[in-house]
Amino acid sequence: MTTMGSTTIEIAINLVKTILVFLMMVQAVPILVWLERRGSAFIQNRFGPNRVGPLGLVQLLADAVKFLKKEDFVPEKGNRFLFYCAPVFAMIPGAIAYMAIPMSVPLVTESYTFLIQGYEINVGIVFILGISSLAAYTILMAGWGSGSKFSLMGALRASAQIISYELALGLAIVGVILLYGTFNLAEMIQSQSGSLNFQGFGYTVAANWLPNWGIFYQPIGALLFFAATFAESNRLPFDLAEGEAELVAGFHTEYGGFKMLMFFIGEYAHMMVASGLMVTFFFGGYSIWNFSPEEVHSWIMNTFSVAPFTANVLNSIIHFLSYTIKFALFLWIFIHVRWTLPRFRYDQLMDLGWKTMLPWALANSILTAAIIFIGSHFTL
Amino acid sequence: MTADAFLFWFLAFVTVVSGLSVILMVNPIYSALSLAMTMIGVAAIFVTLNAYFLAGVQLIVYAGAVMVLFVMVLMLFDLKHEIQAFTRGRLTGAIKIASVGILSGLIVGAVTMGLKTPVVITASSDVAAAPTVDTTRALAENLFIKNVLGFEVLGVMLLVIAVGAVALSRSKGGTHARD
Amino acid sequence: MPLGGVIFVTIFIAIFGTLLIYLARWTGGKAKKTSQAKFDIYECGIEVQEKKDTKVSVKFYLTAILFILFDIEVIFMFPWASNFKSFIASGAGVYIFSSMMIFLGIFIFGLWWEIKSKALEWD
Repeated sequence: MTTMGSTTIEIAINLVKTILVFLMMVQAVPILVWLERRGSAFIQNRFGPNRVGPLGLVQLLADAVKFLKKEDFVPEKGNRFLFYCAPVFAMIPGAIAYMAIPMSVPLVTESYTFLIQGYEINVGIVFILGISSLAAYTILMAGWGSGSKFSLMGALRASAQIISYELALGLAIVGVILLYGTFNLAEMIQSQSGSLNFQGFGYTVAANWLPNWGIFYQPIGALLFFAATFAESNRLPFDLAEGEAELVAGFHTEYGGFKMLMFFIGEYAHMMVASGLMVTFFFGGYSIWNFSPEEVHSWIMNTFSVAPFTANVLNSIIHFLSYTIKFALFLWIFIHVRWTLPRFRYDQLMDLGWKTMLPWALANSILTAAIIFIGSHFTL
Repeated sequence: MTADAFLFWFLAFVTVVSGLSVILMVNPIYSALSLAMTMIGVAAIFVTLNAYFLAGVQLIVYAGAVMVLFVMVLMLFDLKHEIQAFTRGRLTGAIKIASVGILSGLIVGAVTMGLKTPVVITASSDVAAAPTVDTTRALAENLFIKNVLGFEVLGVMLLVIAVGAVALSRSKGGTHARD
Repeated sequence: MPLGGVIFVTIFIAIFGTLLIYLARWTGGKAKKTSQAKFDIYECGIEVQEKKDTKVSVKFYLTAILFILFDIEVIFMFPWASNFKSFIASGAGVYIFSSMMIFLGIFIFGLWWEIKSKALEWD
């Protein structure tokens, strides 16, 4: 309730903010594509796009122009309505889910708290899980709307894969929820600020030089979560949906031009959600190593001797940079993994999801619950 | 009209329209997609009632799992035989008449109940003041402490359904029997 | 209310995407039908093979049904997990821990049975 202001201007600011976050995400996609192409070239000892402009950066604009000049094509056998709807809907789940992730310390003025995120949802995790599970529809719509059997098989495989890994994903998150005792992402980040401080079994283990990040409490959970998000966003090594050897290009076989680009935006949005959640759950969100936002705020006040409001602004900017660095690191891991690992076979993929990751995630949540339970009831 | 009222009417409109299109659409895939839209609309209405967790569950289980299965099945099967079997025939006619009767009974019941029961108007600020954590906590208390037997029985029931699904997947027969 | 923002952004993205498609259609033009093959669906160099009576492995449906069942069980763990610490603090930790462990025992038995009965086997 605090996010939506009471007056019309505040409501307008909030709505404009959501559009800005969405446009930021759309803007990040060409940069990520460039990074992916340059990075893959780097990994494979090639040059990549390096002719157009400095470091080939203007290549992005050339690509956009190329996409615009493509003919608008619908296969005759396909269903026109679904064929057009699918790419538009593909952009929605990722973008909506990403907006619930806090990107920086809320900017507090005298009368109003300005959140550096699209909107705050009380049950952030449940919302994000629910929204991103809707991504299966766009894939099925694209696969069926194309009228091609390759698309349909790709869509079928993709949706079976997505739902299989959603179980491991949900169970990995159970450990996280047990740890923080809340669904709210902002509260999770708050409980991760400061230095490492483990309480249980009647002991308190503290390390002043380490941050209080979730990765130290949930290493297995973090690994399982990250692996499952790869499968959720259909990236290599889990891109069975578009195994080109057998399925040409999966559910977007018949797509081209701008409609194809929209699927790209959707895929990268899923990557961004995964990276953002990874940072939020296990790497302290926007927090800077083991300094809490209040400490950083007072440091800014003392060092630059500025007014509290300016310090608030600087604080938000610094924490946003911190978030962006962690976020970019995970995006790079996504790209790096794509170009270094081979693809799974389909039975291996299903075995990994159902027989390896699901039991391990289950074991992780039981272990976490048992440690919390025993640790608060007994002393060593 | 306040923003909350506008939101409610908007969501009610979306939900009812998509619910109607479930039964009015000729193509079963459009019907299934509209049903998914109805589920999402219901989830959004849950949010306006501050049942955040329930809304999330509605999204994850109904919109994200059950309807995906429906859409998957509809897209992959050529449903010509089934459509033939279920649009003609005496049994289908009887079912149609029965469902019309049930619907009209429901409407009459709802109208008479609505006329009898006094409408309790709660100020929206009271509803808004209720913190979310408590509703989730109350849910947890009900599920895991008060009605724990039902909860465990539910687990057994899910197990039975899983066994049944596996058994069904191994049986042969029906309109798509392997020949 | 965040719901307003969510709905607003959904509608905005839908309009944005539709406009982009129209823009691309305007700049690129509609596809000219130079030959029938251009408008056919993709096929590996031979005449188009229609998907008349698609036979799909029943494993896909089985996977989807099992997913729904396990997903419901996972969903039940969410309110349990978020209130676990507060229940321990209020002294009800033993009840809530043991009730979920019995439930998970059934869950694990189900998973073990699925794996043992080769229902999750892909060949």
